[in-house]
Amino acid sequence: MNSFIKVIFIEWKLNNRNFLNVFFALFFPVMMLMLFGTMYGNEPIAQFGGFGSIDVSIPGYICIIIAVTGLMTLPLTLSQYRERKILKRFMVTPIKPIDLLSSQLIVNTVTTIIGMIILLIVAKIIFEITFIGNFLKTTIAFIIVLLSMFSIGLFIAGISKTMKAATVISYIIYFPMLFLSGATIPLEFMPRSIINLSKIFPLTYGVELLKGVWLGGNLLDYMNDILILSSIIIIFISLSIKFFKWE
Amino acid sequence: MNVIEVNNLSKKYKDILAVDDITFSVEKGSIFGMIGPNGAGKTTTIECTIGIKKRDQGMISVLGFDPLEKSIDLYKKIGVQLQETSYQDKIKVHEICSLFMSMYSEPLDYVPLLERFNLSNKNKSFLSNLSGGQRQKIAIILALIANPEIIFLDELTSGLDPKARREMWTYIKELKNEGRTIFMTTHYMEEAEFLCDTICIIDEGKLIATGDLQSVINKADIDTIITFNTKEDIVTAIKNNITGISKLEITENKISIYSKNADLISELILFLEKNGISYNNVNIIRPTLEDAYLKMTGKSWKE
Repeated sequence: MNSFIKVIFIEWKLNNRNFLNVFFALFFPVMMLMLFGTMYGNEPIAQFGGFGSIDVSIPGYICIIIAVTGLMTLPLTLSQYRERKILKRFMVTPIKPIDLLSSQLIVNTVTTIIGMIILLIVAKIIFEITFIGNFLKTTIAFIIVLLSMFSIGLFIAGISKTMKAATVISYIIYFPMLFLSGATIPLEFMPRSIINLSKIFPLTYGVELLKGVWLGGNLLDYMNDILILSSIIIIFISLSIKFFKWE
Repeated sequence: MNVIEVNNLSKKYKDILAVDDITFSVEKGSIFGMIGPNGAGKTTTIECTIGIKKRDQGMISVLGFDPLEKSIDLYKKIGVQLQETSYQDKIKVHEICSLFMSMYSEPLDYVPLLERFNLSNKNKSFLSNLSGGQRQKIAIILALIANPEIIFLDELTSGLDPKARREMWTYIKELKNEGRTIFMTTHYMEEAEFLCDTICIIDEGKLIATGDLQSVINKADIDTIITFNTKEDIVTAIKNNITGISKLEITENKISIYSKNADLISELILFLEKNGISYNNVNIIRPTLEDAYLKMTGKSWKE
């Protein structure tokens, strides 16, 4: 078997053996959906432009999955691989440590997509969500959000000396974003001060973009978000390339 | 024929000169052992030699390749055990082995290798559940899957119990008998004495001595000590009749003669017999690699 495919295959198996990875990407979002869905139901609400609570929340939950794989699983795994000198071991083989890194990107992308599919299936069956967006536009928005979170994750992995350091940085970035970016609780419910604060979190723009396109908006209507997210991608990829340490 | 040539290698970390102008070569099919205390520069030397550390100065050729330039071609032909490597969480023995097999175009099959190292029953085990010795065997197996011409072993036996260490020695000898070249580092003297065709002592980044076991010991210029017991007072007679003695000690009935010349013992025995002096308990203490090492590295020499 081609060695890169083999690496992806094995990294995929290892990822699925890690309970936390699987739980946070595949089950946690569904639990949140069930919790908030039970609390609010999915009846059309004027404040959401005639959409139900769950209809407008789904893009946020998808962003949470992206944030988990991109900001937690990816940097924690890679920093562990460096700390335990696994990347270094790969340096002295005919394949390169970047293959291990790429396979992690692929594994986490696949996990994100599976998490999203599970979430959508449950939401469709239990809360009968409606999707009126354009599939292609939504996919583009999804990719932009995914790349922005993964680029930040790569940067965290690149600069943290140990897995412990990566964990601390990831938690500090992830948890405030979880609650203050509109991903779990729509910003519409938040006071002005929190809305202002939310502007410092990259995920806020991701939620805004994905939610807008999900609910039938055009990509052009969200140029501001796209520009900010693209800048994040460019900046953090460049920083990662410059600062990533293989050992 | 030399398969590794290192000339005037130097490597600095910030202000610390970890390796200072080291030159050595490794002959094909031999076991080359680098010994030195912790922090002597052994790992840096091995890592520069295989090209995972950039050297600051010097020339390195491994199988004709400069490890910093043609590294991929080189990595198809060498097997490496790095110090302190661990593996991915929850990876199983057969998974890591088949992953390594997929990297090479003509790999050795891992199944017979597991058999050879008595690990067949661990095929489906998690690597993290293996003992230290078993994990080091896996490290050798992963190095061997490449079917390498040269195997690099960086402190393979550190932290192993004496039994596991001796088991490793047998395997290393076997690798040599298969025609592979071995470049190893160790800080166990008896390991270097037992295994290595060429020994290279380094300390504080500098090469102290290199050569076969005997020439390294000779280079240290240490006295052989001959002791025997006698009740007769013959100190002056010995001094007058036997040349080449550097020191003579007497404690109660025991006479200790220090000399650079170990053959002095036959002269001594001849002298004692000829003069009818009764003696017993003759003993000869030759300098060991450890003595040579301690003297040359200047670390707590007991003289």
